Amino acid sequence: MRKSDILLLCASPRRMGTSAMLLKRIQAAAGGEIIYLPQKGSLHETVLAMQQAAVIVISGPCYINTCPARLIELLEEASLSGGFSGQKLYGVINGGMPYVHTHRHGLTCLQLFAEKNKLAWQGGFALGGGAMLDGKPLEKHMSRKKIVPAFDQFIQHIKEGSPSPDSLYEQAQTPPGRIMTRVFAKLLTLMVVKRIQKFGHDPEAPNWYLRGQE
Amino acid sequence: MIVIVSDDSRERLGLALKEAVTRAGAQAVYFAANTLSIKPCAACGSCSGKTYGRCVIPDDMQQVLPRIAGCQTLVLVSPIVFGGVSSHIKKVMDRMAAVGDPRYHVSDGELVKGMTGQGMGYCMLGIGDDLSEAEQAAFLYLHAENRKIMSARGRAFILESRPEEALINKIAQEITHEKI
Repeated sequence: MRKSDILLLCASPRRMGTSAMLLKRIQAAAGGEIIYLPQKGSLHETVLAMQQAAVIVISGPCYINTCPARLIELLEEASLSGGFSGQKLYGVINGGMPYVHTHRHGLTCLQLFAEKNKLAWQGGFALGGGAMLDGKPLEKHMSRKKIVPAFDQFIQHIKEGSPSPDSLYEQAQTPPGRIMTRVFAKLLTLMVVKRIQKFGHDPEAPNWYLRGQE
Repeated sequence: MIVIVSDDSRERLGLALKEAVTRAGAQAVYFAANTLSIKPCAACGSCSGKTYGRCVIPDDMQQVLPRIAGCQTLVLVSPIVFGGVSSHIKKVMDRMAAVGDPRYHVSDGELVKGMTGQGMGYCMLGIGDDLSEAEQAAFLYLHAENRKIMSARGRAFILESRPEEALINKIAQEITHEKI
């Protein structure tokens, strides 16, 4: 890979999910090559690709409020290898909860990695309500009127190699109000319960791991 | 039961904490995550559907999950890595979805979830020398967000790599006697 290339790294184990969809949107506008984080085996090739890129965009899902474990493993290995010299790093993290604060740590983690390893942190985009898209286009997002232009502006920053401010994604997302929050809680729970029952399970039963301990 | 899951690849603070908790009079079980074979979550969705409440990945996490599911307090001990936890500990955290309650609740006006054992204690011990303010703030932020989303109580501690035994004992007392 040439040093001028944009590396688009999908950190999700799902190749057709929202993290990949967002990278494809970036690729369509800014170019670059999408690679997928190997979920097993060596991470050496991925570290090498990061070292050789001029611009790196990492897009991943938010698990328990931050980057998934395998991405952290990659950052640990990249940090041990070194070999970075001013590569521009952008991050995208998306999660199910419709809040920015729930997912923000994923970007902080990438920023701290960049600062410790001589990469140039250029900002990121934290997307709430991303899991519900399940790989569908951003135009299907519940806050699409604000999210779509904001994300496209983020892509413009990647194209220009300029820093993207946090305010871009913060101002594009308004948390649902009190009534809508209650509606969401009921609707989402209903969907979850239906899915559990569809597979013949009782959502009220003690957890599977506890049954052997009774 | 207090469950301690620790990345003891650099220091054996998880084991030291387990011994201190036992001395403080609590029952504790200890896992060194760095010695276990735990694969990353595959986001297969089985634990919230086909095998509700059970993770289908057949590895050492199957020993850890029954302990977490029934615990009074979970304590994660990790070197602070980029303002969060190491990949060894993060693999455990990501796989905990199987013992989470997938239903949604409202707390302080926001959507949250919960754990199987309601009212679970959840503590994190981050270890590191010469940590920047940003790294420390990020670690505390991660714990606060985890606690919120799990509807758990608890607190985070940040320690240097060779803490005094008295400090470990103090933390063990706080965890054991639920001053968290």
